[in-house]
Amino acid sequence: MKLLGILIGCGLAAGAASNNSVLIRGADVYPVTSAPVKGVSILVLDGKIAEIGAKIVVPKGVRVVDGKGLRVYPGMIDSGTELGLSEIEMIRETVDTGELGEFMPQLRALAAVNPDSEHFAVVRIAGITSVMTFPAGTGGGEGGGGRGRPPQYISGQAALIHTFGRTWEDMAVSGSAAVQVRFPILGPPGGRGGPVPENIAGLAGETGAVTFTEMTRTYQQEVAKLADFFDEARRYQKAKAANLPGFVRDLKYEAMLPVLDGKLPVAIAAATPRSIHDAIQFAEKQNVKIVIMQPRELGSAAAELKAKNIPVILGRVLALPRGQDDPYDQAFTLPGEAYKAGIKFAFGTFDNQFVRNLPYQAATAVAFGLPQEEALKAITINPAQIWGAGDQLGSLEKDKSADLMVTTGDPLEIQTQVKHVFIRGQEIELSSKQTRLYDKYLNRQ
Amino acid sequence: MRKLVPALLLLCAWAIAENPRTLAIRNAKIVTVSGPVIDKGTVVVRNGLIEAVGENLAVPAGAWVIDGEGMTVYPGLIDSLSTVGIPSLAPPPAGRGGRGQTTTTPAPPPSPATAPATAAAPVTPAKGPEDRPATTSWILAANEIDPSDHRIESVRSAGFTTTVTFPARAIFGGQGSIIDLASAERAGEMVVVPAVGQYLAVSRGGGMFGGFGAGFPNALMGYIAYIRQIYLDAEHYKLLKEAYAHSPRGMERPPYDRALEGVLESKRILLPANRVVEMDRMLRFAAELQQPVILYGMREAYRPEAAPLLKKYGSPVLVSMHWSEAPRDPDPEAYRTMRSLENIDQGPAAPGLLQKAGVPFALYSDGLDQPRELQRAVKKAIDAGLARQDAIRALTLSPAEIYGVADRMGSIEAGKIANLVVTKGDLFDDHTQIEMIFVDGKQYKPAPEPPAGGGRGATEEPGVSQ
Repeated sequence: MKLLGILIGCGLAAGAASNNSVLIRGADVYPVTSAPVKGVSILVLDGKIAEIGAKIVVPKGVRVVDGKGLRVYPGMIDSGTELGLSEIEMIRETVDTGELGEFMPQLRALAAVNPDSEHFAVVRIAGITSVMTFPAGTGGGEGGGGRGRPPQYISGQAALIHTFGRTWEDMAVSGSAAVQVRFPILGPPGGRGGPVPENIAGLAGETGAVTFTEMTRTYQQEVAKLADFFDEARRYQKAKAANLPGFVRDLKYEAMLPVLDGKLPVAIAAATPRSIHDAIQFAEKQNVKIVIMQPRELGSAAAELKAKNIPVILGRVLALPRGQDDPYDQAFTLPGEAYKAGIKFAFGTFDNQFVRNLPYQAATAVAFGLPQEEALKAITINPAQIWGAGDQLGSLEKDKSADLMVTTGDPLEIQTQVKHVFIRGQEIELSSKQTRLYDKYLNRQ
Repeated sequence: MRKLVPALLLLCAWAIAENPRTLAIRNAKIVTVSGPVIDKGTVVVRNGLIEAVGENLAVPAGAWVIDGEGMTVYPGLIDSLSTVGIPSLAPPPAGRGGRGQTTTTPAPPPSPATAPATAAAPVTPAKGPEDRPATTSWILAANEIDPSDHRIESVRSAGFTTTVTFPARAIFGGQGSIIDLASAERAGEMVVVPAVGQYLAVSRGGGMFGGFGAGFPNALMGYIAYIRQIYLDAEHYKLLKEAYAHSPRGMERPPYDRALEGVLESKRILLPANRVVEMDRMLRFAAELQQPVILYGMREAYRPEAAPLLKKYGSPVLVSMHWSEAPRDPDPEAYRTMRSLENIDQGPAAPGLLQKAGVPFALYSDGLDQPRELQRAVKKAIDAGLARQDAIRALTLSPAEIYGVADRMGSIEAGKIANLVVTKGDLFDDHTQIEMIFVDGKQYKPAPEPPAGGGRGATEEPGVSQ
């Protein structure tokens, strides 16, 4: 098997004059995990970073890109998308997220990724070379049910993928980077953790208002149901280990094994300190790894997240405050707050159409208290580590996947242009539907 | 004629047997509202009217005498905006509604201010303003009164002898009528004034919950444009009609338009306003339409900008007593906006502040129909700074003045309609018992208290259908 791989590797290298090898010469290199070095070269061989240094001998047949005056950064990673699963949100036929069923850990988002999605091109030419794609989608991920769907507790396995590849197998970094769990939220039915708009609350109000007692009861029932599923999975794990006669493989429980073993985190969206706390409590009780997604307020949960070393995926920074009396910069300052609390975090855009704005989400946080280098980490090395790919992605280091962007400046600056993008060492054509339309109408007389 | 006299006599005889036509309440404290309080006096009632009131009155011979020792007599209370008498507009009973309801009747209970187009409203989806959507301006509440509405007794037990009932179910809902809450065989006997003004409502925002029906208008700009157009049309229609009446020969006959007839016949309009900006907008709007206006809702009339604004325009206002209330057993971490907290905290202070500023106002029930609820609601305003005598006035003489009927009701004066409330203790005190109620001189006893509970919280926005 190994031999076959090597053979194929050799074949490619020989045939295509290694289109995944390149030398970028004389650029300023920003490895993220170490201090920037100016005026050096970076050698990529067979899709991996081979060397970074001032004097590199160009191996025969390796293309040279002049990096003078340019900067090289690791490609960015968006930790919250449904890329590949959803094309046009409003057209049902183009949306593959949100399979039905209460407990569906066996669903793999990766299997549904469409490599030809127009979104990928838009995203990768912005320098975003990997994304997390979630099986339930991300917009409605905050609620136990929500959106009038039947309740779902476990939505499936999220995939960490490259934004370029001919097939989904090509694109995969990790077919299973997390199990998406919709943890029940203590709040009004259908609530998504945020405040219910008052005109709608008014409708439910009066006689239809749900009392806290009722809410708590529903919440506890739902949590118990989720816990039951974990218990079943644990029984399955035991039965499998004991190899009991009559043991039948069950994909649902099978998919839970890495979670129970602590190898795979559950990703839970939790907006408020209370729901964050609740989710953490559950994960602790079940002894599983957890990643908190899309908090809108950290408050008292910040210390807990830090103490328990739980990573957080921050949602959109360019967002409105939660309630009408909240400060206008509530969403802008949240990343700075997370940083000050010492929480490890990454950014997710949680909106398929605007994944390309990932660096500007981070940039807004910088304007509101987050150090620039931390913002950069939160879209490169932090997500790589959080999603279990810290040894492959997220920084410019020897032997890591050559996911690079070559820019004219700081990627958080909106004027900065991306001149080259490499994914696994392969240079990406910098065109997308947007650039094609741009060119088309630019030349119109 | 010859037949009529015996018939009338018979009727009188029957009436005397049932309920004496002449009665006197003696030795009672009399809160006349229009004049000073009489500490120990007599009220004489004859043929449904107050014949005399004073300290040392002779009781007419043959009168039924009620000893009012330890009792207080008040004028009957007037609910200045109500749907009592039109059972189809009753709010749904407690425990139902809200989320569980079908989508055809979403919305909070149809208190007058929040009534959506339900059952009786002949609303069809409109394509544009020319279809006159959600308009039933020709309807007169008086024609829709059903004496069997169970709310009549319930509201009367709280001391209300009169309601100003509106067919509140559309943008131009129709004209309200003043009705006396007597147990009449025929609705007509209850009507005091058949037409007092046109009820207008607007629905805020489009989308899922807005609108009175499918189609235009569905957003605030649509309502404003629609109402404006109606008045332009009405003006034109009036000119045509006058021209035709002047010389019909050789002129094409203008088509009859019941919607515009209804608008033209209305001597005033009622417009909803809760926030200060809405008050400002509606006052300007009414001025532009050149219509005498009464604003209703007034949820945020407690804000300091409200009273000066209202004072400036001088239009009377009706204040909803459906005060915002904190939800029962709420989620302790639920997000409450500052605005809603202020509304809960300060809402009931509005009447006191309006009184101080000299804004003519009356209180209305806004869907509250249980005696206990109503008393508690008034008490809240009193506790928040409204003097008791002013509270009484805001439920008696003030509404009568606002609707131009102070010459026949609203106070205890000779010649006025004998609508009275007799209590033990001060009206609106927690332990006050209403002993009897007189409507058109007929005596009623308050209905026994219904079992506790069943109270409803406040509607989110009186005057604005969600």
